[in-house]
Amino acid sequence: MLEPQTNTELRVPELLSMIDSGEALLLLDVRNEDEHRTWPLEGRRPVKTIHVPYFEFIEAAETSLAKVPAHPGPIAVLCAKGGSSELVAALLRETGRPAQSVAGGMVAYGEYLSPVRVPLDKADVSGLEIWQINRRGKGCLSYVIRAGGEAIVIDPSRQVDFYRDWVRGLGARIVGVLDTHIHADHVSGASALARQTGAPYFVPAAGPPRPQATSLPEVPVLRPDVLATPGHTPESVCYLIAGRYLFTGDTLFSEGIGRPDLGGNLREWGRELYRSLHQRLLGIPEQTLVLPAHYAGPSAIQADGTVTGRLRTLRQSVPELQLAGEDEFIRALAAQMRPAPRHYEDIVKVNLGVAEASEAQVCEWELGRNQCAVARVAA
Amino acid sequence: MKKLDVRGAKCPIPIIKAKKEIDLMAPGELLEVLSTDPGSVPDFQGWVKVNKKAALNSQRTEKDETGREIYVHLLERLS
Repeated sequence: MLEPQTNTELRVPELLSMIDSGEALLLLDVRNEDEHRTWPLEGRRPVKTIHVPYFEFIEAAETSLAKVPAHPGPIAVLCAKGGSSELVAALLRETGRPAQSVAGGMVAYGEYLSPVRVPLDKADVSGLEIWQINRRGKGCLSYVIRAGGEAIVIDPSRQVDFYRDWVRGLGARIVGVLDTHIHADHVSGASALARQTGAPYFVPAAGPPRPQATSLPEVPVLRPDVLATPGHTPESVCYLIAGRYLFTGDTLFSEGIGRPDLGGNLREWGRELYRSLHQRLLGIPEQTLVLPAHYAGPSAIQADGTVTGRLRTLRQSVPELQLAGEDEFIRALAAQMRPAPRHYEDIVKVNLGVAEASEAQVCEWELGRNQCAVARVAA
Repeated sequence: MKKLDVRGAKCPIPIIKAKKEIDLMAPGELLEVLSTDPGSVPDFQGWVKVNKKAALNSQRTEKDETGREIYVHLLERLS
């Protein structure tokens, strides 16, 4: 008899909450060596993980099953798309082991969006509600900001139905969709979401932003100040809302800064970035809350579940902000550069609206964590 | 040369079907596998390390008539 679906499959949100809460889980990764090494599934606590590729189970089931150690808790079997993990989980269950296949595999992990409410400043009487939408598998952050019955969305991923439904669930309608820059690591959902909801879409053009010619949201409390912060890309901006909340895109992260090398001109863009960080963002009150578009790993997630930082704190904690002078900044960054994100040129073309891609293609392009930050060379 | 068309199938299907074919082939026979899954490239490389009957002679990519990227794996049955 077939077991009910719930016993044989484990969904990504459940898997992540099990790992986050430190349950005694064994994660069996059956992808190939390369995929296993380059893109791990990570929760907020370490999880016991072993790696045995699925084709070893096909070739030598008994030897492979013997490689899965005795474990007091459930076994979650993980592969790229959820096919091979089903096969391996079934083999394990036949031997009496409590194994479940992670539904949709790493693709589902990379697509999953988890909304977390951002606590507002105590003195804030704006009445805003800020949701940080965490795409945990990729380390991408987008935002829903609600004021009464109206909301704006910043840097949405391409799962546009999620944002539409989430905002609807809050009892609001979308009155503006904004990108902080032309993203290079993932396909933006902003123009599609704007089209679908009829809301205006604002994306900065290269060069200084032109607020008068734009489609910034009309609702005063949701209408951001647009700060030109070129560097990660020439058109990058930060949005300041209610004078307190700074949506920094890929300019400043809670643990680092955006990489300025994707245009192939590290020196020029790097100098721009240095000036944006030190001149433009320095003039902002230091209690401002920074809400970035990315983070590098689960260690950046704070106890309340958000990934944020006060400008005051980041000025002291972000290593790249401690580098004094443009020359030293450029030197240090040049020593830390890593390969560009996979398919970034294709992704940029789609985000600029000059190319189209199928869902399957985009899915393939977006595999893996974001690589938008300046990397740190291990000491 | 035999052909195995597993376009559109996701893992583990390409490896399972290739294994079945290889088991039925005579030593020295060749099998060309057509797949649309980019993951099949490292998977076939890993699989022939644990499968004693098959060698991976070459891998290449081409476009099919619909413009899809196709990953072509050329396998040889060993003795």
